[in-house]
Amino acid sequence: MDYQRFLLDQTRRHFLKRNTKGIGTLALASLLNQNSLGSEGASNALPIHIPAKCKRVIWLYMAGGPSHLESFDYKPKLAEMNGKPMPKSITEGQQIAQLQSQANQLKCFGPQHNFSRHGKSGQMISDVFPQIGEIADDICVVKSLNTEQINHDPAHTFMNTGSIIPGRPSMGSWLTYGLGSETENLPGFVVLTSAGGGQGQPIAARQWNNGFLPGRFQGVEFQSSGDPVHYISRPKGLSDAGQEDVIRASQRMNALGDEALDDPEIATKINQYEMAFRMQTSVPELVDFSDEPKHILDMYGTEGADGSFAANCLMARRMAERGVRFIQCYHRGWDHHGGLKKGMEQTAKFVDQGSAALVKDLKQRGMLEDTMVIWAGEFGRTPMAQGSGRDHHIKGFSGWLAGGGIKPGISYGETDDFGYHAVKDIVHVHDLHATILHQLGIDHKKLTYRFQGRDFRLTDVHGKLVKGII
Amino acid sequence: MKHLSIKPSILPVLCRFIPALFAISLAHAVPEKVTFNKDIRPILSDKCFACHGFDKNTREAELRLDTAEGAASVIKPGDPDKSELFQHITAHDPDEIMPPPETIKKLTDADRNLIRKWIEQGAEYESHWAYLKPVRHSSDKNAIDHFITKELKEQDLKASPPAKKWRLVRRLYQDLIGLPPTTQEMEEGLEMGHAQLVDHLLASPHYGEKMAIPWLDLVRYADSVGYHGDQLVTVSPYRDYVINSFNANKSFEEFTREQIAGDLLPNPTEEQLIASGYNRLNMTSEEGGAQAKEYLAKYAGDRVRTTSSVWLGATLGCAECHDHKFDPYLTKDFYTMAAFFADLEEKGVYSARTRPPQIFLYTDEEKARFAELDKAIPESKARIPKDAPKEHPERAVLKKLEDEKKKVHGAALSMVISKAVKPRTVRVLARGNWMDDSGEIVLPAIPEFLGKINLPEGKERLTRLDLANWITSPENPLTARTFTNRLWKQFYGSGISGNLDDLGSQGDWPMHPELLDWLALEFVESGWDIKQLVRTMVNSETYKQSSYPRSELREVDPYNQLFARQARFRLDAELVRDSALSISDLLVRDVGGKSVRPYQPAKYYQHLNFPRRNYQASKGNDQYRRGVYTHWQRTFLHPMMKSFDAPSREECAADRPSSNTPLQALVLLNDPTFLEAARVFSERILSEGGEDFQSRLTWAFQETVSRKPNENESSEMKILYEKQRARFEKDPVAAAEYLKNGDSPVSAKDPIESATWMSLSRVLFNLHEMIARY
Repeated sequence: MDYQRFLLDQTRRHFLKRNTKGIGTLALASLLNQNSLGSEGASNALPIHIPAKCKRVIWLYMAGGPSHLESFDYKPKLAEMNGKPMPKSITEGQQIAQLQSQANQLKCFGPQHNFSRHGKSGQMISDVFPQIGEIADDICVVKSLNTEQINHDPAHTFMNTGSIIPGRPSMGSWLTYGLGSETENLPGFVVLTSAGGGQGQPIAARQWNNGFLPGRFQGVEFQSSGDPVHYISRPKGLSDAGQEDVIRASQRMNALGDEALDDPEIATKINQYEMAFRMQTSVPELVDFSDEPKHILDMYGTEGADGSFAANCLMARRMAERGVRFIQCYHRGWDHHGGLKKGMEQTAKFVDQGSAALVKDLKQRGMLEDTMVIWAGEFGRTPMAQGSGRDHHIKGFSGWLAGGGIKPGISYGETDDFGYHAVKDIVHVHDLHATILHQLGIDHKKLTYRFQGRDFRLTDVHGKLVKGII
Repeated sequence: MKHLSIKPSILPVLCRFIPALFAISLAHAVPEKVTFNKDIRPILSDKCFACHGFDKNTREAELRLDTAEGAASVIKPGDPDKSELFQHITAHDPDEIMPPPETIKKLTDADRNLIRKWIEQGAEYESHWAYLKPVRHSSDKNAIDHFITKELKEQDLKASPPAKKWRLVRRLYQDLIGLPPTTQEMEEGLEMGHAQLVDHLLASPHYGEKMAIPWLDLVRYADSVGYHGDQLVTVSPYRDYVINSFNANKSFEEFTREQIAGDLLPNPTEEQLIASGYNRLNMTSEEGGAQAKEYLAKYAGDRVRTTSSVWLGATLGCAECHDHKFDPYLTKDFYTMAAFFADLEEKGVYSARTRPPQIFLYTDEEKARFAELDKAIPESKARIPKDAPKEHPERAVLKKLEDEKKKVHGAALSMVISKAVKPRTVRVLARGNWMDDSGEIVLPAIPEFLGKINLPEGKERLTRLDLANWITSPENPLTARTFTNRLWKQFYGSGISGNLDDLGSQGDWPMHPELLDWLALEFVESGWDIKQLVRTMVNSETYKQSSYPRSELREVDPYNQLFARQARFRLDAELVRDSALSISDLLVRDVGGKSVRPYQPAKYYQHLNFPRRNYQASKGNDQYRRGVYTHWQRTFLHPMMKSFDAPSREECAADRPSSNTPLQALVLLNDPTFLEAARVFSERILSEGGEDFQSRLTWAFQETVSRKPNENESSEMKILYEKQRARFEKDPVAAAEYLKNGDSPVSAKDPIESATWMSLSRVLFNLHEMIARY
């Protein structure tokens, strides 16, 4: 039996007679022809909102709030002010996190690491990121990021979902809802995690939740030990072939049952077993790095899929190649309230090489053009000292983007001399979201979903395109 | 055959997706008599109110279209062509056309035709249906069938024939207690009358467990605090309170009062205090560096969103920063509602692992021991002379007693409760900004347009008890409708008004408003008797219909809003689990108790910190409890629950989506819970299902899906049987290994036969029919 054809017919037949509540405009195209975007470019059956420059996103998510003052925002003035009182005019009326009790004696804390110029662009980058320095001409550093939440948990939620109220879909869910998936063997939205170098602040699955969008748009977390995907392994005592018997019989028995029931959900279910079956092969193949040459492994600084940040970066590239739409690599370890000098050095060591290798590797494969890499966390850190560290800071912080039609080798936006307030070309979280969506071919105002009587958007009622970086 | 007019609010949605399908009904979309609430309000609300509606701060051209007075200047009743409104919506000039092209709102031709006809017919406005008091349109004893058939007749349609009796028995079991009938229960059920079986199931202690699930979603009940480290908090007595209340058929009025204001009742019982824990089920934080004031504002907002959604079906949360765009809720209403809860003793940021105020629920045994210790400790103290040396023997005795007291206390179940203290000042926060102290100070009050609660004599401010009493008072049109609509969904697959979150302007016009009103009134007049309402719903002929799809209905009623057939839907996550455990007979049917921990993939909690978590699956009986007792970790909900659409309960959830994903397939195929259930079930098949293949298969089918296999199914399973048997015969070690999935002891006399039937059982457990309700 031509099983694929049978399944496809089932899907089409049932789709056309079913209600369509909650199916994304663009996802509809992908449901009927999963590869439309991948194989035929942007000539979808249904119009994509605007021409896409980018097909997928890899977000290197620096959880904990890396200090912009020891990474990408060079502040010589702050060095001069080291130890002196922070001007009240700057901090008055501003929200403070752990420094609440010391609000009247805030002191400037000079940058703890040297900066050097890199590449033709001459970008100033902290010496704790030598390898990222090497890709200075490929990245666009944004120094004027702004967020609204000063504690980790809500700040993550805001960065990922554009809202602080739990239950809203994360960006990856919005994207797979809007664009569908380019792969039939893997989920469209994948999350990888690593930790090291500093305090491991907790992170919630809410950050990759589908919220009110249908469950198939949820981010799937890949585990670095045990099953890479929950329940992906066949049960002990049963061979692959034995498991295939069970899966195939389940599909056929569902189809037989449907003769009496005539339930479109059953056809869908049979399809999902097909994908589940394929995942049982494609996932182990994905996480097996034995087909990577040594120079690539060395470039990332990893030996295999061991759950390190470096390995996750390589895994992200492998997923991007296979059509995963949105990949997030979290690294927890940036919450340097104390011991910042050493802490920055340590955490940077975990991520520097892998981040740079990913960009270089994508570039040498010609994939950087349609893959956007983002490097940013939920907020930055105060120019004021918290002992030997820095507190959370939301009014100006840095991150960088590369590829996917983003201008390379530039920096965008500025903070004041202290690195406190973003003062020029402010990029709010909503603006960042709007710009990412734009590069993927989506007008952020048009990607909506009706929930509780309202058309919700990733950017709520805000967000403007950051034209200066595209 | 006439075509059903699809409600206009979904037209644009459908239109965008499938023009071809849409065209079928569109030509017939304009009804003879256009009604404002049914036909016009959804259009104006969705397309116009954002700029010409309730929110005065965003109102353009000082024009409001939500009231007849506001629209008088642009509507000339009877004459659409002379009405400025109609001119604007039909204009071609981009400067003239409404809605403006830069918004993404667009009117369809059908919308315009409806508005034209409405103006022609006099442009009459109506108050929003949900804000009017319910009116009784039938005096029938069970008017469900009356209203449903009336509408069907108008559409020239017939109801579906009744489902087969065995199907009805299974449906009732699934709907009322959330468990499939065993073969024996099926036989008994077939002997009973329908209403008799209903009463039998309503008396089951498992009814409360089933009913609790949607309620726990609404009140966002969970075993962890949600924010940041997502630490544990013990509130399981509240869950048991909900289950017990449904089982005892507590009136919804009392159920409401105890939850919102149990602590304010005279001499509150322990049960009432537990119920009052409702107010403290919100997410809380103990994150270092969090500002108390900010978090108190978050908690207050959360409570307003939840309470208004649970009881009023209202999206009052929209009014936190601005007046509601679609409904008459003002920003001030949001904060006056928040003020009801300003008396709760709470902290914005808690110290580690504490959530006072709490009570401790001692067992009788613990209480007795406490009394003894409370006597023994002072006695022991008295035996120690003032200047006794450290090594005085009595000191050791005292220490032992004191340690025991701590131990007994530590072992007791605690429960977070409500406690009233001096109310905090509540201000209207400009744009929801908690740092802004300039807003007006407000006192507790219900949303202005819904009326006013009079201040009891001698009191300075209204309390939560006043709010609770108003919620179930005849003056409030929303509560009974909201609850009834949600309950209807449990037994008919979707609400009478499709949107369970929102009975407001943006909600769905109910296809049967008169039925909803009748049910709501019945409910109130019965003294808010929930079991009676359930009985009314499931004893109707409409309920008994077959769920089999009919081609003529697919076209005219794709959403089954006319209920010309029964609905079919996948079971809730908890019940998917319960079904497998129940069929295998692993299920431990105890009611209530501490939350339990099913098998879970290792390191799933690796991202949790403060403290780090090491998940230990429950041992013994606790491993086999119903899904409703599963430990609910908000930030990392059990992966099985999550993949079957259970909400995280971080936020109030009135409805669960029903998705169908590959992750679900992986759960049913490989989650140890389902493997173990299949394995234990295979033992049952071999011992209870007869001797030969066919009788065993038939028995297994009956236990899982309440029917016999047909010929094709039998031969398909026979093929699998042969294949699997051959594999295990070749590799008996693997067969033995296969049988070791799950904690329960392996008792297989013939491991190869058991392993083979385990695979067959897994196929049955992967049938949609097993985890769906038809």
